[in-house]
Amino acid sequence: MFDRPDIAKAMQTYVLETAPVMALLLDADDRVVDANDEARRVLRAEAVGRPLAEQIVDFNQTLDVPAIIRQGDTVHRLTLSTASGLPETFCFRFFPVSGGVLALACLDLKEQVELRNQVLELNRELNNLTRQLYQANAELHMLNQLKNQFLGMAAHDLRKPIGLIMTYGGFVLEEAGAQLSEEHREYLRTCLRAATGMKQLIDDFLDLAVMESGRMRLELAPATAREIIAGAEPMARLVAGKKGITLLVEPTDDVRRLQVDESKLQQVLLNLVGNAVEHSVSGQRIWLSSRWEGQNLVFSVRDEGPGIPPEDQSRLFTAFERTGLRKTAGERSTGLGLAIARLVVETHGGRIWVESRPGHGATFLFSLPTKEGE
Amino acid sequence: MNQPVKPGFLPEEVYRAYLNALLAHDFQACRAHFLQWLEADAGLRWTYEDLVRRSLYEVGDLWERGRISVATEHLATAISESLLNLTYPRLFLRPRIGKSAVVTCVPNEYHQIGGKMVADVFELNGWRGYFLGANTPVGDVIKLIAEKRPEVVALSGATSFSLAKVISAAAEIREAFPEVAILVGGQVFRWGGKERVERLPGVRCLISLGELEAWIMEHGRDV
Repeated sequence: MFDRPDIAKAMQTYVLETAPVMALLLDADDRVVDANDEARRVLRAEAVGRPLAEQIVDFNQTLDVPAIIRQGDTVHRLTLSTASGLPETFCFRFFPVSGGVLALACLDLKEQVELRNQVLELNRELNNLTRQLYQANAELHMLNQLKNQFLGMAAHDLRKPIGLIMTYGGFVLEEAGAQLSEEHREYLRTCLRAATGMKQLIDDFLDLAVMESGRMRLELAPATAREIIAGAEPMARLVAGKKGITLLVEPTDDVRRLQVDESKLQQVLLNLVGNAVEHSVSGQRIWLSSRWEGQNLVFSVRDEGPGIPPEDQSRLFTAFERTGLRKTAGERSTGLGLAIARLVVETHGGRIWVESRPGHGATFLFSLPTKEGE
Repeated sequence: MNQPVKPGFLPEEVYRAYLNALLAHDFQACRAHFLQWLEADAGLRWTYEDLVRRSLYEVGDLWERGRISVATEHLATAISESLLNLTYPRLFLRPRIGKSAVVTCVPNEYHQIGGKMVADVFELNGWRGYFLGANTPVGDVIKLIAEKRPEVVALSGATSFSLAKVISAAAEIREAFPEVAILVGGQVFRWGGKERVERLPGVRCLISLGELEAWIMEHGRDV
């Protein structure tokens, strides 16, 4: 029955149209002169009319393609450059026909299976690594909690004796200072300065421990940008004025209100101004301003200091990271102020960043999003 | 799944929908079913048992009967394993009780998802579940036991040819560590072998995750 021309023709049509078999008719110079639909789908459009050898990826430059084409009795695994851009390996058979050669090829299933197995193996490894990563991450999370707990406890226990040193040291200086020599008074002042620095460090540790442990609770209430800045301004002026630096405040007239923790945002502004003061010299200026950008309220603190190299900018907001920046008067600070500012801003759902070029000052900005209903 | 579900009684239509999605390689649909079931009151152990374990056993049966290709079986396994990752953000943050289990597949056993679910059930119950993965040489397992000193070692086998390997690995570990509890399990015991492996001293064969959880509840604080 299959000898009947109409049946043979139907089968031929079906196979050529649907089977994933490429059929290429080559002329005497091994040029592709015709191709079935599958071959036209797989190969690049320009393949027809060009030598078959041009489509073959010869990784080792050792293939004698004309000789292979004339070895009609064996299957050859040849890798082709395909329209998808990926090389794929096909099993070729070449049949001499009138005027040239008929090349038939299908995907090398052995290679496909190997590739699939490799992908599955990689997937298995990836899943195992994902599990290990989550496990390690959970351990780090627990260690971090322990660290915060320890920091909190240590800072709390240290705060009390420091308070005693500052209080009674202050009493001695006030009440018995006149009976001491100037040299001894200066010793006492040095002790008190060191104790004040220590208290600041402990306060920052406590703040950081509370914030990092996720225990920070915001006391949200509606406030305008003007109100937020006004609350921070007197202290900011005092800090700047001590070093002969002018603070210029440019509040917005906008009366829009945001749900924020006003005192925590004032702490952020003071930390940013304090940081700007530390990197400015007498006679320079610092600008404190705010503006609305769409649905975000943006605060900025700009200084005329030495600026910040790009390599230091990404580390500024991370606690305990050291940068190459030097304070202009050798001020001693905990270096935790920017990390605390970041945590406060992020807890509000906002973001904080710096814009700076060395030699052109720095601008620290943070934006707070408007929440639904505000 | 509009009705509240009772753990252990996954509605048949939900299971069928999940299985069909798995066989169609539809990762997103599988993910949606998995999360819906997990976040209902079913919890992780029942999701593993009723959805993942049951479907993979059925996929294995379909493959053995020639109803699906090996590629489909492999993809169903890969999808199932990727779904387990969705439980990890919460699983590993659970409070620990200071005990650990080393879980592994025997040599030449590449079906690792069962073992991984066992390690996860230990985590779910506050244990640290170290999972060593597929095809792990017994020597490597012994090294890790010496290093981590776990309370339990669990060996998993899926394919029938793994039975002898599970038994010999259990015997080898028993000889090296006479005190450690050894649990064995997996699809390999669907066709028998439980009595044989339990002849080894201190070796228990647990057929399901439910049995494993019951064992953890019963012995977890004593071993």
